Amino acid sequence: MKKRIFRSLCFTAFGVFAACAALFFFVLYDYFGEVQQNRLQMQTELAAHALTREGKNYFEGLPRTAYRMTWIAPDGKVLFDDRFAAEKMDDHGDREEIKTALAVGEGESSRYSPTLMERYLYCAKRLPDGSVLRLSLAHSTVPALLLGLLPYLAVIAVVTFIFSLFLASRLTERAVAPLNELDLDDPLANDGCDELAPLLHRLDSQQRQIKGQQEKLAQKQKEFETVTENMSEGIVLLNKKGCILSINKAALRLLDTEPSCVGRHFSEVARGPQISALLANGEAALRDEKRIELPAGTFGLHLSPVVSGEELLGSVLLLLDVTEKEKAEQLRREFTANVSHELKTPLQTIAGAAELLAKGIVKEEDRKDFYLRIFEEARRMSRLVEDILRLAHLDEGANDMKREATDLLALAKEMAQALEQEAAEAQVSVSVSGERAVVLGVPQLLRSILFNLCDNAVKYNRRGGKVTVIVHDEEKSCTLIVADTGIGIPPQHRERIFERFYRVDKSRSKELGGTGLGLSIVKHAARAHNAVIDLKSTEGGGTTVRVVFPK
Amino acid sequence: MRSHFDEQLALLHREIIAMGALCERAIALSSKDLEEGKTERGGEVFAHVAKIKSQERDIEALCLRLLLQQQPVAKDLRAISAALKMVTDMERIGDNSGDIAEIVALGHITPVHDKLQIGEMASATVKMVTESIDAFVKNDVGSAKRVIAYDDVVDSHFDRIKRALIEVLRSCDDGEYALDLLMIAKYLERIGDHAVNIAGWVIFSITGKK
Repeated sequence: MKKRIFRSLCFTAFGVFAACAALFFFVLYDYFGEVQQNRLQMQTELAAHALTREGKNYFEGLPRTAYRMTWIAPDGKVLFDDRFAAEKMDDHGDREEIKTALAVGEGESSRYSPTLMERYLYCAKRLPDGSVLRLSLAHSTVPALLLGLLPYLAVIAVVTFIFSLFLASRLTERAVAPLNELDLDDPLANDGCDELAPLLHRLDSQQRQIKGQQEKLAQKQKEFETVTENMSEGIVLLNKKGCILSINKAALRLLDTEPSCVGRHFSEVARGPQISALLANGEAALRDEKRIELPAGTFGLHLSPVVSGEELLGSVLLLLDVTEKEKAEQLRREFTANVSHELKTPLQTIAGAAELLAKGIVKEEDRKDFYLRIFEEARRMSRLVEDILRLAHLDEGANDMKREATDLLALAKEMAQALEQEAAEAQVSVSVSGERAVVLGVPQLLRSILFNLCDNAVKYNRRGGKVTVIVHDEEKSCTLIVADTGIGIPPQHRERIFERFYRVDKSRSKELGGTGLGLSIVKHAARAHNAVIDLKSTEGGGTTVRVVFPK
Repeated sequence: MRSHFDEQLALLHREIIAMGALCERAIALSSKDLEEGKTERGGEVFAHVAKIKSQERDIEALCLRLLLQQQPVAKDLRAISAALKMVTDMERIGDNSGDIAEIVALGHITPVHDKLQIGEMASATVKMVTESIDAFVKNDVGSAKRVIAYDDVVDSHFDRIKRALIEVLRSCDDGEYALDLLMIAKYLERIGDHAVNIAGWVIFSITGKK
């Protein structure tokens, strides 16, 4: 900017200067030429008079002036010259001015002397005696004049140059100053230069636009972050090479890594054959799903590629906690396997016995045994089916069952009586104590709670053991306690004994009978009454089950 | 040119991580079988071992190609030569895991037998392998040094088991079982040594000191 201003200033200054100089020079040159010519004529006239009057003596003692005087005889011979010796000079008769003077009395001419770079003006006058006096004057030529002027011109040029430089920098400074002082954050608040107004308006509108877009972007980013950060599922965005672009809090936690992992390859964060395969599929733009074990449990990794048109942009990786699902699936598988096993065993016995009977292989005296066995197994099966149905009913919610005020103590006594024979066989004594405790509940369900708990207490007891049933009536709740002195439950099984078909000792299940559904029914029946079950057991020291019914 | 080289180095890094992950998995699976006295994971271990072997060849080829075509210097050269050595150790880890799985697959080592807590040694070894791969992934000299120090734990386990087995051989009739256990312990101890080697190569590739 400064340079350009300087250049144009310089150019203008020199242009004007040169034009002026040329104009003055040529006008003055012509004018001075004329003046000199006149003066030369006058001098010639005067000198001619003097010479005519004084003769040759005139030249003596004549001071040397700018005028060169030459006296030439009518035949052209030089009689006198105040610059050179007359004898040595050649014939001057052929000079133009002299020829003219000899002819008409006066003559003028000017000649250029390339050697001296000067132009000479000549003026000749014929004297009365026929000789001619010539005066000449050096008249500077244009180049010579210019040469003479050069130092002054140079001084002026330097001054112009410096002045232009100074002016250019001042101008630039002053022109740019308002621009530099602009408050770009708020363009419209600037006043002063009207010339800048369009620019300022433009700036303002653009700034508004940028601000709006930034806000929109920030809003979107915030929305995205709020959504992803508060998800319990992990989300990881990968580019097409598998490097992490973005990762949410849950994923950071699940993969046990730090936010600095952004930009690194996913395999540096989590590795394993499953993940390698998953990432390979991601690079091939294929959807994939894998399960991996993480410290926090089992996780499902869902990878879906992000494709725009034909081009793969990257992929989204979702980490879903499937620990519960996995557990539930396993339970379901076990349940199905157990149900089919439990149903199959009695059926096989029945089928075998029936086949033997049908073929008549069984001896007459053994037949009763076979019938009995078929009957026993059929009853076992029907008990099992009943239990399963009851559980299924409880699963669906036992809300439609009729609730009545029921005395737990009376029920407990009833149960003790029902189990009397079984207890006697197992040599276990059953005692019921406590006070009357009335709860509002479904008698059938309460009965099955009591039955199953007492049945287990008798079954899993040692010979000569005791079963104690205590019923308490408290202010806000009724408590039923069934304690035995039996074999107890090993700690690792305690959590699972309420699962369907779960047996602590699988090898003894057949021997002890039962369906494996008892405690599961207790759990569901208790839940239907909003009751809480508390189990305490010492291995080999007996088990105490406490069921607290809210009033 | 350089960016292509960088890309290939990143690929090498990823391939080694994948191979390391396979080794981890192989030794973890065979130790789990060993601890639980089951034989159900043997097949998976053998599949991993086969994959590890093919990966070793792939990575070696990649390293050699990089050495020839890019003529790396300084840190890159160290990284590539360390990788070349590391895959050998990894392959040995995979192989030894396969050997353990083979012995376990014979089925005469059950948890009932495990009075010697060989399971503890196995988990110590798994920890070493995992940490050495971690050290490589994170380029972490500190955790590499920890792996090297942890080798003493595995070695002391090995000594303990060896002494206990001598007693078993003196007093009991089940000689084959004792020898099998000794073999397994030896394999585990070797795996620990290979993990130490890997950690050493990690330190070399970062610091240039061995």
